[in-house]
Amino acid sequence: MLEGLKAFLKGFFSSFKEQSTEYIEFEERELENVFALLLMGSFVGIPSPPSTLVLRLMPHMVREIYVMQRRVADMDDIFGEMAGMFDIT
Amino acid sequence: MAVREYLIPKEGFRVLFFIGKGGVGKTTGSAAVSVTLSKKGYKTLIVSIDPAHNLGDVFEVKLNDKPKQIAENLYAMELDMEKLIKAYLKHLEENLKHIYRYLTVINLEKYFEVLSFSPGIEEYATLEAIKEILQKGDEWDIIIFDTPPTGLTLRVMALPHIALIWTNKLIEVRRKILDKRRAIENIQGERKFVVDGEEYKLPSREREDPVMKELLAYRGEIEFVRDIITNRDRTSVVAVMNAEMLPLYETERAHESLKKFKIPFNLVVVNKIIELEEEVPKIKVRMDAQKKVLRKIHKKFRDVNIVKVPMFEEEPRGLEWLERIGGLIVGD
Repeated sequence: MLEGLKAFLKGFFSSFKEQSTEYIEFEERELENVFALLLMGSFVGIPSPPSTLVLRLMPHMVREIYVMQRRVADMDDIFGEMAGMFDIT
Repeated sequence: MAVREYLIPKEGFRVLFFIGKGGVGKTTGSAAVSVTLSKKGYKTLIVSIDPAHNLGDVFEVKLNDKPKQIAENLYAMELDMEKLIKAYLKHLEENLKHIYRYLTVINLEKYFEVLSFSPGIEEYATLEAIKEILQKGDEWDIIIFDTPPTGLTLRVMALPHIALIWTNKLIEVRRKILDKRRAIENIQGERKFVVDGEEYKLPSREREDPVMKELLAYRGEIEFVRDIITNRDRTSVVAVMNAEMLPLYETERAHESLKKFKIPFNLVVVNKIIELEEEVPKIKVRMDAQKKVLRKIHKKFRDVNIVKVPMFEEEPRGLEWLERIGGLIVGD
C-alpha cells in the first residue's frame, strides 16, 4: 500500500517534471537541429564551415544528426507538434 | 648592402611565402633564397605546396613529403595534396568506426563520399599541411613555402580568418545548446540518449562535451597559424613577377588582399629582365616595354622593396646558379 503510494507519487512528480522542461527541451532540439544543419551545409548548397572542422566534429554528432533526421520526418506536421506542445487538441 | 632583415629570423622561426603567377619563377626564386640563407648558417626548410611540383627539378634531386637534406643546413620537401586528402578521409573513417552501427541506420556513408569532393577541400588540406609544418616549426630557423599560383594561395591565406568566423559562430550555438541541457539537467537529473540500443550520456558541460572540445581545439590551432602569418617579425610574403602588365595586375591584387588579412608583404622580385649591351631592334622593343612596366612597379609598390633579377643566358638550375640569384634577392 505504502509502496503503491510511493510509486504513484514518483510517477506524478516525474510527469510534472517532464512537463516543466517540455518547452526548453523543444528549444534544445531546435538548436541541435540548427547545429547539425550548419555542418551539413555543403549538402544543400549553403556555405559550410571548414571541411576539416566538419570532418572532426562528425564522429561526435550522433545525437544532433538523430534529432535532425527526426525533425525532417516531422516536418509535414509542424503545426501538429506546436499544437501538442500548447495543449491544443 | 645588408641582408634584408625581414627574410631572416627575428622572433622564433621565420616563415617566407613565395607567391606569383604561374611560370614567373617562384620555385627558382624560393629555391635560390633557401640556398643563400642556408649558406649563411640558418637551418632552412623549403616546402613546395604546389600540386604541380617542380622544386625537385630545380635542385636536380627527387623529393617526397619528408624533409630531405640537399646541402648543409638545407632541407627540401614536396607535399602530396592528393595523398593528404586521402589521409584525412582515412583518419575520419577510423574515427567513425565506433559509431558505425548507428551510421548504417541513417546511411551517412554517402555523405562522406560527397564531402570528399566538396569545394574548398583542397584549400583546407593545404592549410592543414601548413599548420602541421608550422607546429613543428621550432626545428628550423627559416621555413620557405613555394606556393601554387596566386589564386589558390590567396584563398589559403584568407582561410584562417574565415575559419575563425565559422568556428566562433559554431561555438556560440554550441554554448546555447549546453546551456539548455544544463537547465534541463537541473530539473531532470543526468540525461541519457538511446539510439539503436546504444546508450549515450548527454554531455552538458563544456569540458565533457566532445563537440565543444573539438571546436575549441580547432580554434586554438587556427589562431596559432593566424598569429604566425600575420606577425611582421615572423612572416614575409615575397611576390615574384615578370616585367609585364598581367603579372603586375595580379601582384597588385595580391597586395590588396594580403593587406586586408594583415599578412606582411615585403618584397617584389621582378624576374627575367632582359639586359643586353648590343642593339637588337626586335629585342629593344621588348626591353623598352619592360622598362615601362618597371617604372609602373616602382610607382605602385612604394612601401615594398623591389629586386630585379636579370634573364640569364641559361636556365638557372643547380646550387651555384641558385646561390647567385639568391644573393641578389636576399641582399648581400
